[in-house]
Amino acid sequence: MSNPREVRTPKQAEQEDLFFGQSVTLWARWSVIVAGIVLVLWTSTDVALLTQTMPFFLVLMAVNFFLHGRYVTGSPLNRVAVTVASVVDLILITAIVVLWPGSHGLQNQFFVLYFPVVFAFALVFTRKIEAAYTVLAIVLYAGACVLTGTVPFDLGNDDKVLVMRVIVIAAMGFLGNYYFRIQRDRLAGLAKGTPA
Amino acid sequence: MSATYWDPHDHLVSPDGKWYWDGVTREWKAVPTASTAPEKPAPGTSAKKQPERGLSSFAGEVRSEDLAYGQTVLVWARWILIGTGLLLSFWGPKDLLMLQVQLAAIIALAFGNFYLHVQLLRGHPAIDNVVFGASIADIAVVTALVLVQHGYESPVFIFYFAAIVGISVAFPTLLTAGYSAITIGVYGIIALATAPAEDYPVVFTRLLMIAAIAVCGNLFARGEGKRRADAIRIHNEMLDEVEQQSSTGGNVNVEPA
Repeated sequence: MSNPREVRTPKQAEQEDLFFGQSVTLWARWSVIVAGIVLVLWTSTDVALLTQTMPFFLVLMAVNFFLHGRYVTGSPLNRVAVTVASVVDLILITAIVVLWPGSHGLQNQFFVLYFPVVFAFALVFTRKIEAAYTVLAIVLYAGACVLTGTVPFDLGNDDKVLVMRVIVIAAMGFLGNYYFRIQRDRLAGLAKGTPA
Repeated sequence: MSATYWDPHDHLVSPDGKWYWDGVTREWKAVPTASTAPEKPAPGTSAKKQPERGLSSFAGEVRSEDLAYGQTVLVWARWILIGTGLLLSFWGPKDLLMLQVQLAAIIALAFGNFYLHVQLLRGHPAIDNVVFGASIADIAVVTALVLVQHGYESPVFIFYFAAIVGISVAFPTLLTAGYSAITIGVYGIIALATAPAEDYPVVFTRLLMIAAIAVCGNLFARGEGKRRADAIRIHNEMLDEVEQQSSTGGNVNVEPA
């Protein structure tokens, strides 16, 4: 039975959550971009390496400028575009993990870039979408480690480290979305006329 | 019903002043009118304002109510830390001293978290200072584990992220900034002191990502606080409109006499 005081439909609520939460994904992406650019500038050993790696971050920066500009002018992108941009983030981070010169897969220390991206996504989308995104991040990272041959599957220390990192990626998604649902319940309570 | 007496200084009050937050029953209740309000205890009695509760006294917009909601995230973040820590401690242990330190720290954290979780389940959010202390303990335990495992090389630094997630959504901005700065400062010193120079970019990335998590979580929590305030305002405007319509027979443009 519908409550006569309910002012938002579930669809409107999702759109509002996307609108207000989008800034978090934008800032998470800025953190990844800043980290990437600093790393590229800091660790490049020759001109060729710098000119090959920097364009990825410049493209991502241009995309985020566009998304952020749309957001501040009050016309943010829809959920499909935001989801696609977030998936591109995962692909880029996975590419860093796989292709970074000198250390690949499990030995690559830039897996921490997954954390803010997964956490920010979990603060914006509903549980099913968030769960799918978190699983995708875990599969991409675990797949990158396996494909680069850096996981020995001997239940030794390296396997343990991989499990630890996967658990924390999952925790980022779970905790972010848990808080998102708490806040959504509070807002729904307010919309029904009962402060939650 | 709670036996909590009504005191505007001890309770979070909605912007219209009609509701107050009862932290014991965790419910919003109507503010009693003058005729129904229980007598306020005399000043200086045991029911005097409790300074250890109520973030509003020093933390601006975020209040104990927000801490109470965010506390559930903190508690679950800590259970993840404890569960994963236990699993990994028993996975190929090598050094007796290290295992002893790990298990002692994790079990101590588990007892503390059990207390906080029980408080939440009983509808009694813990005293603010206990929550703040527990978060310091989280960071201290992770730092101890990092130190025992030779600083930069230790893979357990990633548990800082889980701790900061809970802190960023539960605590006000100033406290989040403080806790994050402490974490980044302490871990930064440890990592820089134990890492080879060529790995400094890795240390930088770790520290930047800890800061990014703190910023994202707190940004979201602040945004949600504003949305709630807007929702309360809109709701009250609607109620006022309905009241006005009922008192003027449906014509909202009636001029007062």
